[in-house]
Amino acid sequence: MGLLEEAFEENVLTTKVDWLINWARLNSIWPMTFGLACCAIEMMAVGAAHHDLDRFGAGAFRASPRQADLMIVAGTVNFKMGERVKRLYDQMPHPKYVIAMGACATGGGPYYKYGYTVMKGVDRIIPVDVYIAGCPPRPEALLEGLMKLQDKIKRTPVIRRPARTA
Amino acid sequence: MEFQAIHDRLKAQGAPGLLGFDEPRPANKKEKDPGRAGMPFVTVDHAHLVEFLRMCRDDDKLAFDILVDLTASDPSADSEELWILIQLLSLKHKHRLAIKAPLPKAAATVASATAIYRAAQWHERECAEMYGITFVGNPDPRHILLPDDWEGYPLRKDYEFPREYHGISCE
Repeated sequence: MGLLEEAFEENVLTTKVDWLINWARLNSIWPMTFGLACCAIEMMAVGAAHHDLDRFGAGAFRASPRQADLMIVAGTVNFKMGERVKRLYDQMPHPKYVIAMGACATGGGPYYKYGYTVMKGVDRIIPVDVYIAGCPPRPEALLEGLMKLQDKIKRTPVIRRPARTA
Repeated sequence: MEFQAIHDRLKAQGAPGLLGFDEPRPANKKEKDPGRAGMPFVTVDHAHLVEFLRMCRDDDKLAFDILVDLTASDPSADSEELWILIQLLSLKHKHRLAIKAPLPKAAATVASATAIYRAAQWHERECAEMYGITFVGNPDPRHILLPDDWEGYPLRKDYEFPREYHGISCE
């Protein structure tokens, strides 16, 4: 800690701004309330008492995209819905994250071949941070996905810009 | 009433457009008949479908007061016909009736059944967008499931899958 060491009282901590901001962000990832298909049932199970998404500070499902940090795309995205999903994503404030939950949101899933209106992955319209496999994924898998996202946020520089790579 | 009694009643009343009936039968190897599973149905000329339904609803002995389902089917890419398939239910007499109305693919237009059964509205809209059947007289002929600008009729056997939609690749 160098110069700052012992300069304050004992109950004062010193840290990096990056760490502090990321710590706040990753422990309050508020998801948006919306589900598109059966994956949403598993997502609700994660939000309920047994799996308890609130343990990770992500249980506050917001009814408005303007208050949400995380979009959990839980279910089949078809073209008609996809345009609405895109609009909701655009309405979310930065920083915003997307979890593609399950086979459909990841790549079309069982509708890949004959689903004429099903988008083959939600990443064709919005950038996805974490993909979760499963049809539908177990609640534990969604928790794992959330923790992967927390790891990602932890590694994100906020004040220090990342070195540009060509 | 049993199916045969319903059919006889329809025939005795001179039901408009009644063409005949078909019942499930076991396979017959000698005559190379694959047989048929399912339920018995009456076939009806599509041009008289609405009058036929009106009789089914209004006749005292039949009294089909509920339209359970109205859908369509494209039996084969080689076929010249589409089928309109209707299921009726009578709560009063506790009997059911299945109706099949063949319709030429080249001129897939039929009068709307909404004047007889208002429940037919959404079913007809779905048939219209999925099979390209025009229901003349449906009060709200917009798409019901597909986007408004969707091209083609997905449940037709000769449907070609889209390559892209609004710039999003479907490959």
